[in-house]
Amino acid sequence: MVDCLLGIVLIISVYTARHYLFTLNRLFGFQRHPYIDTDSANWPPVTILVAAHNEEKVVSNILSALMSVNYPQNKMLVVPVNDRSTDRTRAIVDGYVQKHPGRIRPFHRTGGKPGKAAALKDAMEFVDTEVILIFDADYIPGSGLIRQLVAPFFDPEVGGVMGRVVPLNVGTNLLTRLLDLERSGGYQVDQQARMNLHLVPQHGGTVAGVRRSALREIGGWNDNALTEDTDLTYRLLLNGWQTVYQNRSECYEEVPETWPVRIKQIMRWAKGHNQALAAYGFRLLFGRHRATWRERIDGTLLLGVYAMAPITLIGWVLALAAFYEGVAPLYGLVALLTFTAYAATGNFAAFFEIAAAVRLDYTRQRICLLPYLILGFGVSIFSVSRASISQLLAPITGAQFHWDKTERFRGNP
Amino acid sequence: MNPAFVTMTLFLLAGLLFLAPLLPAFVELHRKRDAQPLDVIQQYGGDIRHFAHGFRRFAMRFQSELQQCVASGTTARGSLPNGDDYVLLGLADDSFFLPATKKDLTWPSIVAAGVDLVLPDGLTFAKEIYAAGNLTGGARSTFRAILGEKSVHLQRASSVIRWAHAAHLLRAEQDCHLYGRISSDREIQLQSGCVFQRVNAPLIISGFSDARAGALAPQHSNAVHDLPVPLPPGRTLYDGDLEIRAGEVVAGSIVTRGKLHIGSGARILGSAKSNAHMTVESGASVEGSLVSGTTMHVGTNCRIGGPVLAERGMVIESGTHCGSASMPTTVGTLTIELEEGVLVFGTIWARNEGRVVRRA
Repeated sequence: MVDCLLGIVLIISVYTARHYLFTLNRLFGFQRHPYIDTDSANWPPVTILVAAHNEEKVVSNILSALMSVNYPQNKMLVVPVNDRSTDRTRAIVDGYVQKHPGRIRPFHRTGGKPGKAAALKDAMEFVDTEVILIFDADYIPGSGLIRQLVAPFFDPEVGGVMGRVVPLNVGTNLLTRLLDLERSGGYQVDQQARMNLHLVPQHGGTVAGVRRSALREIGGWNDNALTEDTDLTYRLLLNGWQTVYQNRSECYEEVPETWPVRIKQIMRWAKGHNQALAAYGFRLLFGRHRATWRERIDGTLLLGVYAMAPITLIGWVLALAAFYEGVAPLYGLVALLTFTAYAATGNFAAFFEIAAAVRLDYTRQRICLLPYLILGFGVSIFSVSRASISQLLAPITGAQFHWDKTERFRGNP
Repeated sequence: MNPAFVTMTLFLLAGLLFLAPLLPAFVELHRKRDAQPLDVIQQYGGDIRHFAHGFRRFAMRFQSELQQCVASGTTARGSLPNGDDYVLLGLADDSFFLPATKKDLTWPSIVAAGVDLVLPDGLTFAKEIYAAGNLTGGARSTFRAILGEKSVHLQRASSVIRWAHAAHLLRAEQDCHLYGRISSDREIQLQSGCVFQRVNAPLIISGFSDARAGALAPQHSNAVHDLPVPLPPGRTLYDGDLEIRAGEVVAGSIVTRGKLHIGSGARILGSAKSNAHMTVESGASVEGSLVSGTTMHVGTNCRIGGPVLAERGMVIESGTHCGSASMPTTVGTLTIELEEGVLVFGTIWARNEGRVVRRA
């Protein structure tokens, strides 16, 4: 029991150190933005896929925004991937097609396998450009965003690009404010630090791009993947393609406004991440491929972030059991490691990371909400653990994965 | 002391200590003092001419009065609602500014000239200058910002603090310091010793104007195509250092995890990327982009078709062309050293400092 507990403490300590490394790098290290200054170029043709499943509340916003970006019109094609929508999404998309002839080519998908990856896979027949950008329908790209996301593809090593996601509906309630803080930490610090340190920035599947030849080389979209973005990140990495993060390529998104929607979202992410961990974890760390050692280690740690939730819970239970059994003497090295574990489970490191992100964003008062993050942390750890356990038991229980669309709130009273 | 009282007090104190960090959170949650989305710029696309366009719109309010000054050959003064003074010049007479040269050497008001304008040496212009005609600055002058509807000629050792834009030629003589955004709708010439950060024009020439003849002459045999050519997709990845031999032709893009050395006269029909230092020897050509994870040295008379990007710094020697008239490009890094005689079609962006140096 004690050995198991010490193992968990060790893993948690590694993640704690990682959080501090990332935060200190963002605060004091050299910041890499190698492509952001590319403002004159022979811009390549680009196809923009807009994933839309029952998105009548939001799809017009993104199509309007895309029609007014400063990318050369004759080099940009927007493909709304209307995936089996049963609401007014199709009518709205068709309205835009009529209004902007030649600039939008809709893909109305009426059947087939559910899921974003399957829809994107089917949409590839509409793509004949080397550069592909992907947006979810609730995003609102700014005027210069398309150029910023295309620019990294001038680098022949880049297979994928990821921009920064910024919540738009921040002030709605406590949940949206907490998600705003989490997003700040995740992008402003985590992603940019991984970019700075030549680690593994994660492809997010939206406000993102992929090189078609790289996608073809790795076998196209994996429609069995629950999170196609994580799956893409690792297959690109294993094949020697870089995913780069552009912190200054910001785009508004809508975050969940209710806890049940948030819980469903994070459970899906957890299952997808764990699926990728099972599929690529061992091969990434020990296999023969082009990833560097630092990419192998960081990539494995990134794959394990959702697995840490049940591990932490198990650690808590073991710690309590060890304490009441009297088998864990709390002194010396054990005491030190226990303290570190406490710091990580209370997650001072993650709090530090988010506080640094808020500072880097030049915001002031929202940092006051930091203590409430414990609430989001609590909900996440139990939701993710539940998702992980149900995933582990799925071969026994025979439970099937059910696709849940993230509910939209824009336009709600 | 009553043990129950002590226990209660202890619990109360512990509770207060626990709640203390939540109080500011509670206040912020209800007052929503900082509940707006982060400020993501939606409409501004990063155009280098952003401020010039804005000032041109601002200058339109002077236009009718300025035309009257030109017609009558007079000057006029006024004040804006924000308290800024302005002067409208309808005659070409640099003696207008002479009183300033005898006082504190600072001209405090906005200047709008309807005719060609020649400024005296050594002045500091604390506000923007609008020139409907050609503008010739004085030597060792300092300008906050300049909008020239024709050509702008900055004399030796002048400085631009925020931005300068010329609709025609913008020429900076030796040892000028050009901070901020420098742009032209036609051409920019930067003489040796000029320091710059962000420069954009259809044609940017460092150093002697005879380099311009090279730009307009028929392309050399190693030149990149002037028409957009689809680059071959995919690339070959090398884990260590790589040397492309002199005269070798590489069909496709190459990526090295180490250093990359492109030999003299070699030709790459795609793009090239190194994660360590890159050296491009004289006369080499790259159809696509050149990207270095650290530093880059581009030799003489090279031809680069796409963006030239290095994360730490680069040196480009004379006779090298980046981009072409029909295919503008970006040369970007932290620190750039351009020898006289380099041509860039598009943008040069040195985050820290760019400098034009004499030909070796």
